[in-house]
Amino acid sequence: MEIDPLPNGNTATENAAARPASDAVASLAAAAKAAAPALKVSHLSDSLKLEHQFLRVPFEHYKKTIRANHRSVEKEVSAVISAVDSSSSSDFSRDDAVSHLSSLVSRLQGLKRKLEEGSRVENLQAQRCRARLDHLESADADNLSEWSNTRLKRILVDYMLRMSYYESAAKLAETSNIQDLVDIDVFHEARRVIEALQNKEVAPALAWCADNRSRLKKSKSKFEFQLRLQEFVELVRADNNMRAILYARKYLAPWGAIHMKELQRVLATLAFKSGTECATYKVLFEVKQWDNLVDLFKQEFYRLYGMTLEPLLNIYLQAGLSALKTPFCYEDDCPKDDPLSQESFRKLAASLPFSKQQHSKLVCYITKELMDTENPPMVLPNGYVYSTKALEEMARRNNGKITCPRTGVVCNYSDLAKAYIS
Amino acid sequence: MELKAVKDAADHVTKKQKLCSSKCQEAIEQIGQEIEQALLKLQSTDASTSYPDHKAILADLKTKLKDMANVSQLESSQKELNGPLSKYPKQLEKSFNPDISKAYRNVDFDIHTINEIIASHLYREGLFEVGDCFANEAGEEEATALKSPFIEMYHIHQAMKSRDLEPALKWASANCEKLKQSGSDLELKLHRLQYVEILQNQGRDEALKYARTFLSPFASSHMAEIQKLMACLLWAGKLDASPYSDLLAPINWEKLGDEFTRQFCNLLGQSFESPLGVSVAAGVEGLPTLLKLMNVMMGKKQEWQSMKQLPVPIELDKEFQFHTIFVCPVSRDQATEENPPMLMSCGHVLCKQSITKLSKSSTKTFKCPYCPTEIEATHCRRLFF
Ligand SMILES: [Zn+2]
Repeated sequence: MEIDPLPNGNTATENAAARPASDAVASLAAAAKAAAPALKVSHLSDSLKLEHQFLRVPFEHYKKTIRANHRSVEKEVSAVISAVDSSSSSDFSRDDAVSHLSSLVSRLQGLKRKLEEGSRVENLQAQRCRARLDHLESADADNLSEWSNTRLKRILVDYMLRMSYYESAAKLAETSNIQDLVDIDVFHEARRVIEALQNKEVAPALAWCADNRSRLKKSKSKFEFQLRLQEFVELVRADNNMRAILYARKYLAPWGAIHMKELQRVLATLAFKSGTECATYKVLFEVKQWDNLVDLFKQEFYRLYGMTLEPLLNIYLQAGLSALKTPFCYEDDCPKDDPLSQESFRKLAASLPFSKQQHSKLVCYITKELMDTENPPMVLPNGYVYSTKALEEMARRNNGKITCPRTGVVCNYSDLAKAYIS
Repeated sequence: MELKAVKDAADHVTKKQKLCSSKCQEAIEQIGQEIEQALLKLQSTDASTSYPDHKAILADLKTKLKDMANVSQLESSQKELNGPLSKYPKQLEKSFNPDISKAYRNVDFDIHTINEIIASHLYREGLFEVGDCFANEAGEEEATALKSPFIEMYHIHQAMKSRDLEPALKWASANCEKLKQSGSDLELKLHRLQYVEILQNQGRDEALKYARTFLSPFASSHMAEIQKLMACLLWAGKLDASPYSDLLAPINWEKLGDEFTRQFCNLLGQSFESPLGVSVAAGVEGLPTLLKLMNVMMGKKQEWQSMKQLPVPIELDKEFQFHTIFVCPVSRDQATEENPPMLMSCGHVLCKQSITKLSKSSTKTFKCPYCPTEIEATHCRRLFF
């Protein structure tokens, strides 16, 4: 616990005598705080296991950089070597050979710079992977509330990025100083493709597919095929039939073996044109096909990086609201502290299941604290039940008299009976 | 949580990656050197002399590059990296829960509602600039309605943190009736702290003046408290050595700050804790149980999507218990208006239906299932929690 220094000229010496007393208070409070999270710490290890995406995404990013750097080095090196090869078998004059080799030297120097920059990025990404591991490891009972607070912010940034609220995501990450703990740069890549698709351009999406060809193939992705279909449909829409046919031969035919049915359906648009009323074909010309492409891209993108297909926020909210949902949440006297007392949360929870209750949980009407063996329930002669703590306090203040706050009935503390709830 | 295996796998990747990139660097370096050497040789040959000379140099360079070990090492070092690169994600999948969306229900979570919730969360956290940016980007302009009350709360709280109670006192006296109605003595607590500050820093006379003006209205309702505060006058300037030194504890400021926030939110019709924070925290606690459940429910995804009640209980911490729930220990039914909880003469509590069943099986009295007491059904009392 941090104790603020006292301003207003209350120097340390003046305050020194007060220290033992205030320390005692502080340590009492700390002890109370420590007792509460005991259960939480047992939940902690389970909840850390939920953080797969948190570690997986920066790793996939790192791996991607390594692969791309290596590919470009390999390509350049073999280009240089084959340039030497071809020069040795050609009829170069001496001067030609000199200028040829000089150009190769400067090409290698360029490659060297590129490689240095590449490994700088690799090292940064390695550090980020490490930083996330360290962050997970740093969670313990002492910093749990702060750590959970950061987790909520991470979850919110994830939501913002998936919803394309990029500026908010960047602002939240920056003001909370959690840039290393969120994946803003990974989403830059997605942003380019998404924005192009929203402008009805497929080129960046196709380039992305080419970049990730082997992995997309492994997961049997249809995304590239869908992009090609859309381009074809656009040619038909523009009445560019010859080009459409050429396009289909070149880019669609190779997919015939796996997606024949869809291929045929789309090719049939040649006969129907964009004005068709036939429902099967009309839908292919609808603008929302582009939105579908955006959604499809997002799914592929999430899969590639090992992200959940739904925003983390939605996943946690669903689980939390189901766990909290009881029929009592929808009654008028639902306490404000329950998120489900609010209309917006009730709306979200509407289609979720109720929680199951296997044990009694009694919340004291007066103190709102849980009644358990340490603070057992006591029964007034009229059958109303309150916690021992609340009733003792009331008796202390009112010379042993108890007034039932809900019925106004007055009795003596000695009239109370114990109730045993199992 | 044990992260050692994951860390080792990560370190292994990094080690190999560094090795690989230094190998690359070496190879390029060496190719460059060979070419430069050939270049030097070329330049030293006389332009007028024989043509085969430079041909030979180029051919020589070609074989040198071909035989260079570094180039073939480029490939092998990359291959060595493949192992760790595929091992790390496997380790992650082993140590973590690879798909936490397994228990997700495919229901439409209304985006507008979520965005509204997020915007008010950002404002209540004091992240006003982020909140504005979000409301703008998400097109939730009406969400900014909550901004100005939270700005006020935040300013007052900030002032309290720098030991300025004026704004808080002003707010408390303006809302004094409402505070009283909700049973809060925040105003007295603020005055008490201010009084102690004055007593400590400005002396007895000022403190007495302050007490007469601001504490005396509370004299009848909080007699003991006021008496104690007045006794502090005897220790003016050396309160830290008095029996009342706990009044100086810095934690009083922290506590009062929380109390102020609680009351402010209460009057706004809001909870003290962010409802979004509470829900997500409950989700973090509950999700592991749900995921375990999904492993058992494999192949029953359809059933899961339409369930009205979770088939297993989810144990949440105390702080998430907002409602009294009585479950009859005999029948496992939840108490209702028709089947209320009943107190037996021994102090054990069962639901009415269970008592009816138990009393039917014997003639007059029955034995409590939890203790040896003989119970008379007619002597059981209904409880109200
Ligand atoms: Zn009993």
